[in-house]
Amino acid sequence: MLFIKLWNYLSGYVIIKIVGEYGERLLNQAALENLYLWDIKRQNGNVLSCKVSVKNFAKLASLARKTRCRVYIIERVGLFFVILKLRKRKWFLFGALLFIAAVYFMSSFIWSIEIVCPDDELTISVDEALRSWGIKEGIFKYGLDKEYYIDKLLNEYGGLAWAQMEIRGSRLIIELVKKELPPELEENIPCDIIASKDGIIEEIIALRGEALVEPGQTVSEGDVLITGKIMLGHEPDGEEEGSDTLFVHAEGIVRARVWYQKAVKVPLVKTKKVPTGNSKKSLILHFQNHILNLHLGDISYTLYDKRVLKEVNILPKLGGGLKLNIVEYIEMEAQKEYLGVENASIEAEAQLLSDLEHLSKENKIIQRKMEYVLDSDEQAVIGSMIIELVEDIGKKQKIEYGEEKL
Amino acid sequence: MSEGIKKKISDALDLPQDIVLNVPRVIVTGKIATFIENHKGIIEYNSELVKINTSIGVICVRGEDLHIKTIISDEITVEGKISAIEFEE
Repeated sequence: MLFIKLWNYLSGYVIIKIVGEYGERLLNQAALENLYLWDIKRQNGNVLSCKVSVKNFAKLASLARKTRCRVYIIERVGLFFVILKLRKRKWFLFGALLFIAAVYFMSSFIWSIEIVCPDDELTISVDEALRSWGIKEGIFKYGLDKEYYIDKLLNEYGGLAWAQMEIRGSRLIIELVKKELPPELEENIPCDIIASKDGIIEEIIALRGEALVEPGQTVSEGDVLITGKIMLGHEPDGEEEGSDTLFVHAEGIVRARVWYQKAVKVPLVKTKKVPTGNSKKSLILHFQNHILNLHLGDISYTLYDKRVLKEVNILPKLGGGLKLNIVEYIEMEAQKEYLGVENASIEAEAQLLSDLEHLSKENKIIQRKMEYVLDSDEQAVIGSMIIELVEDIGKKQKIEYGEEKL
Repeated sequence: MSEGIKKKISDALDLPQDIVLNVPRVIVTGKIATFIENHKGIIEYNSELVKINTSIGVICVRGEDLHIKTIISDEITVEGKISAIEFEE
């Protein structure tokens, strides 16, 4: 019925008053002529009120003459009349349209620039750079070549890992992510190369500076491998004259054998979570940082898994951040499984392999050793793995001169 | 065809009686509305009484605040506080 009401409103209808002794006769005639009348009410004595569509009103009026009734319009309702009225008020309509156009026009400019970056210094400098390139408040938002400016930003600022430009309404949001660089010493600062971990030197290539260790030598963490302090007496082809020692920025590759060890304990009896088949759904309402649980019924599982089925964002983060999650709680049951020594060992090895996987990706593993110990007190197998591999252990360290010079 | 034969045919073939016999069909929703199909026009209407002509005679709907929700050539819906629906021969 809503559809009919909506249709009636859109096409427009009139509320009329039928005055006459035989109002019923008019109703019958109208029904026979297929004129749709609705909400007929007796006002008093010989006055009826009813509603009829604009289209049918003219026909009804001619019928009324035949049945000796008089018809008066009480009220005009619907969009049809609104449009009719607006046609007469041309300047009002013009103003309204102008207003909409003005809003649209104004919203096609960028009125605020927001730079999202944790580094304030970078934010300020990027802001200045953008302004110098012509991106400032008041520019036209269509036809802004975002890709071009992102590329330009990334080129200009080497320290940026990622940049994004987004236009939201009349706001330009620029997100910047800085590269996380290790504190590398600058080229011209004198430094040594020291060992970052214990190991046996496999090969050493000094590109700049003087190698202090030889292949086969055991070094421990912190030992100087290639020094940037060159005694001119020993090195006759020094670059600078007039001083006994020369400090250089040592550089080189030091590859050494190192060992990694890791152990895990795998109990012989393993508890596993198995779903019982029972589950319940629940709603969780997030409002910014507040969480409201809307449980449908009581969830009294002792052991359960939680799974988010659906996330419904009611309001975006900027508009308050209202989010509704549909969560399913799945009841679990603890089941014990006896693994046995052999299975426990296999599992220990698998766990260790996955733990140490990242090492083998970068470097070649020379040797891998696996040991198992049965811990009878705790009913568990302790597996330990030793991996031997060759990797670059060189690390740059600034030479603290001052006391060294002179 | 006489009414008796029609009645037998509609019984035998399980046809809806209101169509075969050309009688009105009255649907009453609680005490608030009645819907009459296959009517032959309104005889009298005021807020206490609506008389509707049909092929089997006049149907009187009595009550308070009665109003005609819709009326088209063969359907009529009366709403209000209905107290009685009478059939007059």
